[in-house]
Amino acid sequence: MSTIGIILNGERREIPAGATVADLLCIADAGRQPVAVVVNENIVRPDQRDSCILQDEDQVEILVFAGGG
Amino acid sequence: MDLLRLGTYTFSSRLILGTGKFSSTSAMIEAVRASGTQLVTVALRRFNREQAEDDLFGPLSEIEGLTLMPNTSGAATASEAVKAAHISRELSGSPFIKVEIHPNPHHLMPDPIETYEACKILAAEGFIVMPYIPADPVLAKRLEEVGCSSVMPLGSAIGSGQGLSTAEMVKIIIRESNIPVIVDAGLRSPSEACAAMEMGCEAVLVNSAVAVARDPAAMASAFAKAVEAGFEARNAGLMPRSSAAVATSPLTSFLGGAS
Repeated sequence: MSTIGIILNGERREIPAGATVADLLCIADAGRQPVAVVVNENIVRPDQRDSCILQDEDQVEILVFAGGG
Repeated sequence: MDLLRLGTYTFSSRLILGTGKFSSTSAMIEAVRASGTQLVTVALRRFNREQAEDDLFGPLSEIEGLTLMPNTSGAATASEAVKAAHISRELSGSPFIKVEIHPNPHHLMPDPIETYEACKILAAEGFIVMPYIPADPVLAKRLEEVGCSSVMPLGSAIGSGQGLSTAEMVKIIIRESNIPVIVDAGLRSPSEACAAMEMGCEAVLVNSAVAVARDPAAMASAFAKAVEAGFEARNAGLMPRSSAAVATSPLTSFLGGAS
């Protein structure tokens, strides 16, 4: 199986070629709570995640809400 | 009942609670419930599978009537704050954004220029913009003019517990503002929150004072009472100060001297 390299939350990661954002959320175990996903500075909304295929060298951020004042 | 109006939203509670620095999520949730707050701040953070229980969205969404106000903490420029605001709105579904731009980690003082630029953009985009600002009446007025829904001058440095050291400037801001003024940052004790409300603030935002208390839920409750007391006292009309004593009992002379 061929893989691609992405930068996920600042760290390099290999994922299967052709993986979508939705696939990545499963791989990263981030599918159990609401998250925001940003790919190359663009927000990927939940209804776009099944069709958004990740490319080699994509910069991906998966974000949640934590405590803050 | 007098309601706090922020944008198109109304709140019966005038205590806004921050969710940072608590020893655990459950301690934070208990404090939120005890405070009766209807508006809490949260911050964006990278997802970490090892700390999945730190995600606050789930636990906070179980509290009825609670609105989230994400902050832009971590942003050092207007463009970073705007980016954080867009991501936060996507995640929270809330139109509220606390604009917080402090480039210097040593004093955490808000950058007035970047804050102004970010607020101008976000207000035009329809956010309910709540900027954390230095206690500067000129800046506060300029932010009102670009469409902010409130201004949130600092009482003193974030997390410092130095209270209302900016009181005189905050009074000027209140006098000049047509939007709610909310003291944010630096409050240590409920009496300071009460004083801010008596002064004319429409709400106060408290985080550290509650989060690091020995009993956060009890402190949250104490702040809620103080905020209510201060608001009620202000509406009741505080008596004027006098430089001389003014007797409260009739000073008749029947006890002294022979008649």
